[in-house]
Amino acid sequence: MSTWRRILMAVGWSGLGLIVIAATLSEFLARNALGALHAGAPLSPPSEAFPFGTDLLGRDLFSETLYGLSTTVAQAGEAAVLAVLAGGLLGFVTAHLPRPSAASLRWAVGAFAAIPPLLLAILVIAATTRGMVGLAAGLAAAPLAFVRAFDRARRGNFSAHSAYARATGISASALLNRDLAYEFRDTFLPTVARALAAVAIILSTMSFLGFGAIPPHRDLGLMIAAAQRSYFQAWWTAAFPALALMAFILLARLAAGLDEGERP
Amino acid sequence: MSEARTIFEIKDLGVSHGETRELDAFSLTLRAGETVILLGEADSGKDAVLRLLGGFLDRADELTGTIRFGDGEARPASRKTKPMARTAYLPGPAQHPLDAQAGAASQLARVIARKLDCPRGAAREELRGALARFVGAPTLETLDAPAGGLDNATLAWGLLGCASAMTPELVLCDHPFADISPVWADRLTKALKDEQARLGFAILYAAREPQPVARLMGRTIVMRRGRVVEEGEAQHLIGGQTHLYTQSLFKALPDNAQRSPRKAARGEPLLQVQGLSLIGDPKKAPRARDAIGFELRRGASLGLLGEAGSGRHRLLAALLGLERRPGRILFDAVDLNMLSEAMALRLRRRVAFVTSKEGALDPRMTLWDTVDEPLRAHLRIGRDLTQGYREAALKRVGLASHDGRRAVASLTPFDQRRLQVARAIVAAPLLVVVDEPLRGLDAIAQTTMRDLLAEFRVESQAAFLVITSDFAVAETLCDEAMVFDRGRMVERGPIAALAKSPKESATKALVEAALILSLSKAEGGARTPP
Amino acid sequence: MWRFALKACGRWALALLGALLIAVGVSALASAKGGYGAALIHTLVSFARLDFGTSALSGQSAAQELAAHLPVTAHLMLFGALVALILGVPLGLVFGSSTIRRVAAPLIQIVSAAPVFCAGLGLAYAARRLGFEENPSLLDGLLLPSVAVGLAGTAAVQMVLRRAASQAQDGPFRIGLRRLGLSAMEIESVYVAPQVFAGLLDALGEVMLALLSAAVVAEWVFKSPGIADLFVKSIALHDWNMAALILFVFAGLTATADFIGRIGARFLVRAAS
Repeated sequence: MSTWRRILMAVGWSGLGLIVIAATLSEFLARNALGALHAGAPLSPPSEAFPFGTDLLGRDLFSETLYGLSTTVAQAGEAAVLAVLAGGLLGFVTAHLPRPSAASLRWAVGAFAAIPPLLLAILVIAATTRGMVGLAAGLAAAPLAFVRAFDRARRGNFSAHSAYARATGISASALLNRDLAYEFRDTFLPTVARALAAVAIILSTMSFLGFGAIPPHRDLGLMIAAAQRSYFQAWWTAAFPALALMAFILLARLAAGLDEGERP
Repeated sequence: MSEARTIFEIKDLGVSHGETRELDAFSLTLRAGETVILLGEADSGKDAVLRLLGGFLDRADELTGTIRFGDGEARPASRKTKPMARTAYLPGPAQHPLDAQAGAASQLARVIARKLDCPRGAAREELRGALARFVGAPTLETLDAPAGGLDNATLAWGLLGCASAMTPELVLCDHPFADISPVWADRLTKALKDEQARLGFAILYAAREPQPVARLMGRTIVMRRGRVVEEGEAQHLIGGQTHLYTQSLFKALPDNAQRSPRKAARGEPLLQVQGLSLIGDPKKAPRARDAIGFELRRGASLGLLGEAGSGRHRLLAALLGLERRPGRILFDAVDLNMLSEAMALRLRRRVAFVTSKEGALDPRMTLWDTVDEPLRAHLRIGRDLTQGYREAALKRVGLASHDGRRAVASLTPFDQRRLQVARAIVAAPLLVVVDEPLRGLDAIAQTTMRDLLAEFRVESQAAFLVITSDFAVAETLCDEAMVFDRGRMVERGPIAALAKSPKESATKALVEAALILSLSKAEGGARTPP
Repeated sequence: MWRFALKACGRWALALLGALLIAVGVSALASAKGGYGAALIHTLVSFARLDFGTSALSGQSAAQELAAHLPVTAHLMLFGALVALILGVPLGLVFGSSTIRRVAAPLIQIVSAAPVFCAGLGLAYAARRLGFEENPSLLDGLLLPSVAVGLAGTAAVQMVLRRAASQAQDGPFRIGLRRLGLSAMEIESVYVAPQVFAGLLDALGEVMLALLSAAVVAEWVFKSPGIADLFVKSIALHDWNMAALILFVFAGLTATADFIGRIGARFLVRAAS
């Protein structure tokens, strides 16, 4: 791994760490309680008293953005781990099953991977309950993660080293151990970071469309959706939550080592 | 008689690449029709000379000294001017110089067209003509296939044809036949020499092992870390070397005195093969003349000799139960054809591989995990207990000082080859399959590897199956051998008997290719060519 | 090539079958009160007769409803794909070149970290600020949503191209052919470029997924009455028949793009060689 990439990853993880700390301490850092109305005059521009300004209902946007960020971060963390475990891990395991079972499962999950994850997440939410946003986003991102992991492991299975391993009696479970040790364990954190960026987009878009956070709990997507009524007059109502969301996504991608599927 | 025309004259050349000093005070004059071999390991500075003469210097290259082409004036090398000689570059196929997905012939024709400034159709005909001149070369139509699907020898013929079609003054040979079987390397070298006699070009040949020196017999410059350590005509250098480094390089040549094959051990039979056929329909009973039968006992070593595609690997696949074929194969007294795939897999736990094939080891794994895996996967031994075995094995192959957490991908080919031996040592196998163990290695690495395998063979109770196209390797490692040609076993017998009186043409070709090298070393030789 | 094409056709057919079964599963939710298993069989039989049920929203046949909304989305996707190709290909090729890839990668991340709905709102804001409010048809029309979809497609296309370029640039043949005597331009145009564009074609399914996701958001933000917008409304109101049919169309489009891309990539590499 190049030094440049290491630096970017360090920046990404440090930034994510700060965001998680800020989200955890949102109760202490926020100047106003969650959803406190009329903290200031409606649609006040950013000032010393309200660094991010206020929204249509006079809520302090700095405090609201912190609360929104903490909700988004918590749900994204839950969803990312779920996507990596239910997608990546299962993909590797399935690739080492006997051919008919592996092919059938690849086909079944592959059919879900052909649906945009956002639609899948909305579908899961509609078919279950609104409270399971993180679960829905994680399950929606899982098929693509599954297919990627499966195809990667399958390519490995057809490689020369796997053929030599089989010729010396190395079993499918030992080959799976290799994948888990070198593809899954060693790349777990970057994979989670990459998934974090992906599910953060899904989660916030779900909330934006009205399928995510349920008021009074607001995440960044819902805040931006609410700002649609005011942002032409008061840009800050949408800009600060959007910037917070973009910063989170950017830092997660940096932590993943800029890996959008690109080779190092 | 007037002296031949000078192609180039290099004086006091120094090449630095960034912080690295690649070449120091190097001088060389090459005349038309002359052959000079640059012999040395990877960092010896050969590539810097080729880069300068080929005109593909890097931006980071800093040069000192002068260079003169033909009758022109000597110019500072630092100007990095384009070489004025008509130069052809001849790389080795193992360097993958062609796009694997595109047709080899079309790429070579494009190169010729570019060099000769002619239409591609005409260039294609030039290539066809060049190939037609070579004995044993493939047709142009064979080379129409994607380069990735062609074997090394076929590609080497194509590259040689391309170089020859350019009617060059100078051919820069960049390890062109390094990863090719001795028989084909001999034929290709002979074709190169014939073309040199016909066209009168000079050859600058970069080699990492002494075999090309013995085949080409030109002026040889031995290089180490950018400096010339010894220089002389090939026959003198092969006969006796002054510098210790040169001596260590020339040890890679086969030597009659080194051959002391162990007699066939009289252990229990490990492999018993009856009525096995490698050709025809696998579901039908073989014809009597195609059927193979043999026995390999524990501690014995059997060579499977032949060229690529001769059937050796097909036989191996059948012996390991990877491919079902008619006939009876008993592995450690168990009939492989009666076993399920799962049982065959269990049986193969007692097999180890040492091979030159790329990617035989998992490039992601660490050095320690690679050695430990057979113990952990087969015997369920914990990491704490594997440490002793691992350390002993790594020490024996000379890898104990390496960081055990390094990934296999970061190791040199030689270290990867030694790691395979370490893995084989801890696995305590019943059967060790050695497949072209010296191919693609530097001279010193070849000697070390050969000695390592010979020692391993002596100390181990395992049976050895040595797949090679190099008769010299078989002589070092095998008691007996079977020679394969086009899917059939054509000759078999004790290795000494095969060397002394080969009967079949395939065997004769293999023995002759090794003999050229050993004769050159023995200065007249104890044996006469068959 | 024929063997490959047959295999790809088989994969495509299986992908369509998978999409159909998912649609059946979703549509069965509409009549699951009498037991999901029975509803599943009933829906399967209906689908086999090309009866996709009626929309709970409009009372019309789901297929008719789909046909009414499809042109808007088709226009959006086509225009978006065009923008994605026009912007994404040069960007991918420029940022994919080895010299600036290192510096470009983090910069691209900053831009592509914006979710589509943020980009959509940004576009709408910019349009207002630039005085487009005087022409409301522009905002209500298809231009802005198409640009939003196009920008999402651009991000996907440039990423796929950068990936393909980074893989092709590692090929040892570039050095080999250069040393043999070909010019850098010749190597790039004859041997590297087909591999890079084959990489793009190979990932056409991935690009289609990005375009479809963007279409959902863009239609919602800009209130364009396309099938993506219809899907969101159908899901919100539990109109499962409609949602199932739209899901099938989306999954079918992705599978078809994947199929065409694979065949095209293979053909391109063959033609170039």
